[in-house]
Amino acid sequence: MNGYQGKFLRVNLSDRKTYEEPVDEAFAKKYIGGVGFGIRWLYDELQKGDDPLSPKAPLIFATGPLASINFLGSTGISITVKSPLTGLVGDSDMRGRMGSSLKGCGYDALVIEGKSDQPVYLKISEGSCQILDGSQLWGKDIRQAQEAILSDSKNKNMLVTSIGVAGEKLVKYANINCELQFFAGRTGTGAVMGSKKLKAIVSGGNLKTSVADMEKVRRLMKEISSKIKTDGTCDTLSKYGTWNSTGPANLNGILPTKNFQTTTFSEISKIDGDAMLNTIYAGKRTCPGCPIGCRRVVKGETPYPFSTEFEGPQYETVASMGPLLLNGDPYAIGKANELCNLYGVDTISMGATIAFAMECFEKGVLTEKDLGFKLKWGDPEGIFKMIELISLREGLGDLLAEGVKKTSEKIGKGSEQWAMHVKGLEVPMHDPRGKKGMGLAYATSFKGADHESSMHDEAFQRENALTELGFTVLMDRKQYEGKSALVRSLQEYWGVMADAATICKFPMIPPRPLKPGLLVELLNAVTGWNFTVEDLLTTGERIFNLARMFNAREGMNRRDDQLPKRFEEALEEGGSRGESYPKKELERLLDEYYKIRGWTPDGIPTSETLKRLGLN
Amino acid sequence: MAITVKFLSAFQDLTQGKKIFFVDQDRLSKIIVDLERQIPGLKAKLLDQEGKIHPAYQVIHIKGDIQELCKSLDCPIGDGDEIVIIPLISGG
Repeated sequence: MNGYQGKFLRVNLSDRKTYEEPVDEAFAKKYIGGVGFGIRWLYDELQKGDDPLSPKAPLIFATGPLASINFLGSTGISITVKSPLTGLVGDSDMRGRMGSSLKGCGYDALVIEGKSDQPVYLKISEGSCQILDGSQLWGKDIRQAQEAILSDSKNKNMLVTSIGVAGEKLVKYANINCELQFFAGRTGTGAVMGSKKLKAIVSGGNLKTSVADMEKVRRLMKEISSKIKTDGTCDTLSKYGTWNSTGPANLNGILPTKNFQTTTFSEISKIDGDAMLNTIYAGKRTCPGCPIGCRRVVKGETPYPFSTEFEGPQYETVASMGPLLLNGDPYAIGKANELCNLYGVDTISMGATIAFAMECFEKGVLTEKDLGFKLKWGDPEGIFKMIELISLREGLGDLLAEGVKKTSEKIGKGSEQWAMHVKGLEVPMHDPRGKKGMGLAYATSFKGADHESSMHDEAFQRENALTELGFTVLMDRKQYEGKSALVRSLQEYWGVMADAATICKFPMIPPRPLKPGLLVELLNAVTGWNFTVEDLLTTGERIFNLARMFNAREGMNRRDDQLPKRFEEALEEGGSRGESYPKKELERLLDEYYKIRGWTPDGIPTSETLKRLGLN
Repeated sequence: MAITVKFLSAFQDLTQGKKIFFVDQDRLSKIIVDLERQIPGLKAKLLDQEGKIHPAYQVIHIKGDIQELCKSLDCPIGDGDEIVIIPLISGG
């Protein structure tokens, strides 16, 4: 089977047994790989109400067929769990090389279940898997863990994927990293790994995956790369990385500031793209097979030293450790980023949780007595201390490690009003009051508030933005009209299919060159299939609906497709001044959206819809 | 007429790091022609092959408290208004 190894590895840490199971072509065609495989297996292997941190809950690493060609980050992997943060489908994609590494070992996916009594790590090579003692690794940060593993390994080409101490401590938004550089940040995958007492996975193999038409693959890769390099669509992404968004987001009034109390940051000139290039920037990195190079190398010195070895902060982290906390110091942002990386926590949820706590202090709901120190907006030392307390679950950090939803439910006193989450997942750094499609995407994503579940409104503020999907009319970012159909299509094409194929989403954002037709051509050249764009979208729709059914089985329905109350308040300044997201507008969009999707008015896929998608 | 043009995370190589320019024109199309004189090479990058604003960039028009996207080169610009040229937001 081209593009696949035709089998996956299942590891049961309770009985310390490993199994090889088949991946047949019919299954591959129906779910492609990555998040598609992950959600299918998650649905089949869990039942309603199962604890995400129980031995039964699987931790699923799944590659896509494009992992075999090393193009635009396709060597990455998708990690799927039942999220301990939301109790719903959790998934996060991780660039890097774990996907190709697993393929090189002969597997399309790795499913880990059970729970070890003692800390362990896995060593996977060509056709084999060892469960090794990880006691000496437990308690180490991700740098120390990687160094310890690689110093013991004879094969320096082995690749280390691990959790930090936050994962061991079951912080509900702990992440998983690969090679210190790539992070599966969202939905708490690291806590699931920690619950199994699994510190790390070491992998490396050289088995090839067959490709149907390598000549055509090379031609397509050359064509797409050439467009990326020459047509100007990726110039600023290459120069600034995602820091190119910080200044424009502030200008447009969508940059979350002071826990979404406003969207305009008075110190923006200290942390916008040019400011970062002039301060902490130390170079750039590229993902495997990518000509853009949007990733940043950063370096900081006294008073906030941080090293170049980790991935630098991207836009989301700059915003979540910067304006969201009223912090205008780029070096403090870099330091906070490094601390989160070392402990192994999602920077978005961490920033949102600290912002929540800061507002609690501002309003007198939490006091110095509760925390042991004064927590003030914009205080770097307070931010660093909070990251440490939460990551280690010390003091009030133990409660905050549960995320803003559970924390606000516990402390009450009206704090639910400024707990910024959807379905328990903290809101990313794009205020939906200034981009209405993003608001609908947050409300309806199966993960909760996820900025990568649908393309952003800005890309559709022109004619013929994505003609292959029928989006030819200019849509203003602030308009509601047309956004239901837009979000529905983009959730399937960009939100799901990119993660099923495990390819980077950036080259797919209009006007960038990886259009739906080209993605399908690439997929067909690798697999030898005859997929059409319509087939691709139907597959995305199938995966999206299956995730919705998983969540429905957990009891989720329309009442959960909501936005935080704060977004009903109009912004008083900036580029989105006067904009709000009234509940009645969201409800109207939901009516439209459910109808387009073939769901009941309560947000549940109808039997006809499920039958049409082959989800009987 | 005095129009302020700002560049935000865009074209800093061409402008040699300068972020603010001033022009004296009443249409976006004329402003770009004027800017090309000050910043040689800008027009070829800011406009696409059809002569429209390149989709990788957006031009924001600020007049007092009102801020809106320039949707075409015909966009009228008033005395004292501000133009900001930005890249498409990527997230990440």
